[in-house]
Amino acid sequence: MRNAHITGVGRYVPPKLVTNRDLTACMDTSDEWIQQRTGIQQRYYSEDSVGAADMGVLAAREALERAGVRADQVDCIIFATLSPDVDMPSSACLLQAQLNIGGVPAFDVRNQCSGFLYSLATANAFIKAGRFARVLVVGGEVHSTGIDLTTRGRDVAVIFGDGAAAALVEPVDDPRKGILTTHLHAEGKYAEKLWLECAAARERPRLTEAMVAGAAPRVFPRMEGRYVFKHAVQRFTEVINEALAAAGCTAADLDLLIPHQANLRISQLVALGFDLPEEKVLNNIQRYGNTTAASIGLALYEAIETGRVRDGSLLCLAAFGAGFTWASLLIRW
Amino acid sequence: MPTALLGLAHHLPASQRVGSAQRPIFRDPGGPSDLAVPAARQAVREAGLTPEQVEFVIFATMTPDVTFPGAACYFQDKFGLGTVGALDVRGQCAGFLMGLMIADDYLRAGIYGTVLLAAGEVHSAGLDYSEAGEPVARLYGDGAAVTLLGARPDSGLEAVVCHSDGRHYQRFWIEYPSSRQHPLRVTVDDLREGKHFPRIDREHVERFGVERLPEVVREALRAAGASAEQIDCFILSHVLPEVVERSAAALAIPPARWIAAGARHGHLTAAALPVALSEARTAGRIGTGARVCLAACGAGYAWGAAVLTV
Repeated sequence: MRNAHITGVGRYVPPKLVTNRDLTACMDTSDEWIQQRTGIQQRYYSEDSVGAADMGVLAAREALERAGVRADQVDCIIFATLSPDVDMPSSACLLQAQLNIGGVPAFDVRNQCSGFLYSLATANAFIKAGRFARVLVVGGEVHSTGIDLTTRGRDVAVIFGDGAAAALVEPVDDPRKGILTTHLHAEGKYAEKLWLECAAARERPRLTEAMVAGAAPRVFPRMEGRYVFKHAVQRFTEVINEALAAAGCTAADLDLLIPHQANLRISQLVALGFDLPEEKVLNNIQRYGNTTAASIGLALYEAIETGRVRDGSLLCLAAFGAGFTWASLLIRW
Repeated sequence: MPTALLGLAHHLPASQRVGSAQRPIFRDPGGPSDLAVPAARQAVREAGLTPEQVEFVIFATMTPDVTFPGAACYFQDKFGLGTVGALDVRGQCAGFLMGLMIADDYLRAGIYGTVLLAAGEVHSAGLDYSEAGEPVARLYGDGAAVTLLGARPDSGLEAVVCHSDGRHYQRFWIEYPSSRQHPLRVTVDDLREGKHFPRIDREHVERFGVERLPEVVREALRAAGASAEQIDCFILSHVLPEVVERSAAALAIPPARWIAAGARHGHLTAAALPVALSEARTAGRIGTGARVCLAACGAGYAWGAAVLTV
């Protein structure tokens, strides 16, 4: 059983830069308030009629190019998003059409902030089981069309940014390399601590004018920030430990920790707990905000570009977010 | 050791009249996760296991309880599964087969020892029951099925193949909410135009289904090294009943050996195949040790087939 490895990474960052100061034009907030609580300085928004798959395909093309693989050599597409282009079918199908590789299976993974890692873990299972040789994992989000950009929605709206990232996963012959271990968790008890309610098939009907445009719209994400923060620090720590233990490593062996970019303060607390110096933790939320399923791919891309991941590096990718869901992967580069 | 269905059960809400048809319609407040819980209880019991022994959950649906998190998280909590991973898969009509493919590989790779695969839909929350919408609304029903998958030494899943082709996604789709619409992904105007209801280009969907459904059945049989005569029962799923009939005819399967998944309940999308398989078992039409072929084709387009011994 051969290990799976990431052989190419790509990204797409949309062109519209939105600074914290820009947000003060539509809501009562301040650069200082946002930075103090989240570390975020700016984020990017997509342009009209550009959806998650439209961005994802650009990231995918770059990942394929870097892996030296043609689109028609891809065996399977996994698309992680919570902001699909259309309600149905999956964004994976829309991306597939743009890559012009009809016939290969394409499906969406809907696991919010842990979506990229749930998708990589699934790609890893496909490769290990010998079903596929080239699995394209894409994370893409257009948050900007689904947040309440008024003072009412500011607590959540300031956090999110748009973006996409992709990774090609292939088998590797060297048994010491590649994805060493994967760990996926969820706890639905806390589903409504960070969620987007409607459309909701548990309502009758699932989408109404009141939900969309009533005095208290139900189509925007809601969050109990403090609650999420506390659980995030705990679960990030646990799941990183779980991966290290499974691979027989310690935190001191890690060359780089890439946490889902949820909040700079969370990442800093987690790093502190493992006694990891700043250079061993990748944080770029300052420039992109929280891009949910795209964040870990965007961060991995940056780590490779800046030489922070090299041949032989031991990486831990970790995520926590809505669901609650959380996950970790250990990769020997 | 092959992946096997250690337990399988379904749950359907009470039947209601929709136009000229009778359909299972979930009237109570609740989503697909609620429909899946009673089925899960039965499936786990049949496997002789307890919920604590479930190591991973996969939920296939296109009608989740809320927009996010997914139905898998709600289900995972309602069924009392602690902190096991819960993967939400969106594969439309092929959702169950895609979930089966994923579960099979997590098991064969040795990552998990048991996977609970749930598939459920509450379509009735998102259909247009006006006179204009009735021809589409009457195609659908609500329901869920759950299977507990694990390794079994003798026999089980022999082949599962899945495909997609996104080029024609607008032939069978629900447009809104749509993240690509700025500044807001859904507006009152979109709702007034009915763009949050499913739309089907029947002619195109039928033509595609009639071509792909028999083709993917043949592919799965080839992969399993089985001839059509060696299959005790074919279960075929498509939103349009005529596609299932024409596919069975194209495959020259005698009527006694095929089941139209949507015949009684309408189309249950991700849940269609496992509900039909579970019902056929309960009714004694499929006995233990029977070799079965499941196949579905639908929105995406996405399609697939599996050959397994139950």
